Amino acid sequence: MPETSHAQDWFEEIERWPSARLRSWQLDRLREVVAHARANVSFYRSLWSKAGLRESGLDSFDDFARLPIITKQDLLKARGGWANPCDGPVGFSTRGTSGEPLLLWLGATEEEIYIAPTMRGFRWAGFAPGMTALLMSPVWHRLAACETHAIARLGGDCAFFWGSLGPDNMDSFLRTLTSVRPRFVTTTAPFLLALVRRAAHDDLRLAEAFRGVESIVAVGLPLTPRMREFLRARLQVGDVFERSGTQEGAALDDCRLHATPHIHEDVCYLEVVDADGAPVAAGERGRLVVTKLAAAGSIFVRYDTGDIAAFATGECECGCTFRRLKIYGRPESSVMVGERMITAYDVRLCVEENPALLGRNVLLIRDRSGASEVLTVAIEGGECDGDDTADRLRSRLGVARARIVWLGGLRINWGFRQVIDGREIGISNG
Amino acid sequence: MSLTETRLLFDVPNGRLVFAAGALDAWAEHLSWCYELMGVKRGATLAVQDFGSSPLSFLGSSLLMPGLARGVAERLDGRFICLDASPERVTLTPAVLEQVAVDALVVRADVTALLSAEMGKKARNGSRTLHPRTIVAFNDEDPPPVRVGATPWRFLLHVPSSLLMAPECRECGRFHLRAGVYRLDGDEVSNLLHAGATTWHLPAGWSSVPGRCALGLDDPRISPAAWTQDG
Repeated sequence: MPETSHAQDWFEEIERWPSARLRSWQLDRLREVVAHARANVSFYRSLWSKAGLRESGLDSFDDFARLPIITKQDLLKARGGWANPCDGPVGFSTRGTSGEPLLLWLGATEEEIYIAPTMRGFRWAGFAPGMTALLMSPVWHRLAACETHAIARLGGDCAFFWGSLGPDNMDSFLRTLTSVRPRFVTTTAPFLLALVRRAAHDDLRLAEAFRGVESIVAVGLPLTPRMREFLRARLQVGDVFERSGTQEGAALDDCRLHATPHIHEDVCYLEVVDADGAPVAAGERGRLVVTKLAAAGSIFVRYDTGDIAAFATGECECGCTFRRLKIYGRPESSVMVGERMITAYDVRLCVEENPALLGRNVLLIRDRSGASEVLTVAIEGGECDGDDTADRLRSRLGVARARIVWLGGLRINWGFRQVIDGREIGISNG
Repeated sequence: MSLTETRLLFDVPNGRLVFAAGALDAWAEHLSWCYELMGVKRGATLAVQDFGSSPLSFLGSSLLMPGLARGVAERLDGRFICLDASPERVTLTPAVLEQVAVDALVVRADVTALLSAEMGKKARNGSRTLHPRTIVAFNDEDPPPVRVGATPWRFLLHVPSSLLMAPECRECGRFHLRAGVYRLDGDEVSNLLHAGATTWHLPAGWSSVPGRCALGLDDPRISPAAWTQDG
């Protein structure tokens, strides 16, 4: 960020820079981060030395792409060689969806850098001075910690409900929602969907509870267009925006056009690569690789998050030149059917084409062997046009066979887990 | 509205805490005092398993709250690890503790059973998890703490709606109601600094402790019946 008293103006300006100028600026930041990592983090020094990489600066993005891609296992193995007390005073852990959680550190310098894009995302979502925001717990996620600062700097009040974003705390959330009457809410999509289901079951008037809410910013689940509209209609709020990001530094927000979330390219450099680490074209899926453009906090340089993602093609009509990217899921939220990786997002897209199935929890059933020729999908509630849905799954997803298991009255909590072992709900796999 | 006009509203059991942004520092100072009275040393790494709207969490660092100039981490010149108290996150705590040496683990009383079970599972799997000193934060809705057998290192009486944080003293083993912050009148404990805090009543079995403690000569002290010092 430039030394200027008009930092906010600068942050609004950079999102409209021509691509070439933005790339040049990003390359400068990557040089700073790589130099910082080499000087201060023995893990990277050793890694790059072993890879035979020279110490002189990066001349191009191709040079940068020669740095090895790292994974969580690399960092867990390195432990003290990667994280150190100078990284920052506040620790957060990842959710551990792919095994062990990773502890990472946030410092004041890094947080300052990430508050600006949070403000940008909230501005896109319609936050205005004087509003009150009901926010996620600041201890839940590194990006959530930035939310409170962003709201304060945008001139709003912050409210927090008691508890966490689990089914046990829905009443607590609703109490705060109906007494504070916020105009802006940040939460997780699974929590909203759990509320919708609870409302249907308990005859709860959700539209009344959300009265006055103009925008909801939802994280934690990639929203399909139909799901976003379903939530907006059920809650009768002005709009629902998708926010995504990772503890390791990726940060993305929907603009008002909802045409795939924009990457906040002033704080992170994202790549999408194939199994060999080569970049894939926009529109094609691959593994998400994150580099934080902040030489502060825990350092992530070419970190494979494990997410499956794709850049959107073309430019967004909103005027923001930041690239757009959709995070579809992770291997843990996907199943292999034959040679194809099918994400829960893909399945929901197909299932939701039937309006009667919108809002039902949809889970993929993993085969014990890890791969199957049959796509097995469990859907909440009673049977509803099962043959049509199975046909759609087959044709859209290119699998040989699709089987649907109707869960009837069995309720499974909406959560971040979208794939289960069939034995958990008493069905055979595959 | 400027940053200093931002209001922060925290819903807590049986009440709501409302702060102007600049009002949090006095409470971060008090919570730091509590930790030091319990024996937490400067430079310590604290891991706190509590909800985000609990003062034990949101006072943890200036990075967590706008207008908080110095949170507990900054005041103790230490580090603060955010461990949300949802069951999903509690199951992760043993693995987090493998990655960093924690000097004190602060846990809500109602998640201690789940956390102990998870620690036990890790231990049976041959994990090298270090068991940090544990501070159990409890209130009158939790089962009263009992000082027998393998007990936590310290207890912290924490009633969020009263903004009551009374530490078990490392010296006398009793719970200090810090002078100038709280007033004890009969069985009523009033918060002298936060107008919106509810008055707290000593639960059955608790009483005022006569005499004085060198670590807080003017502090009223309270204790459950049959409470013995264990340091």
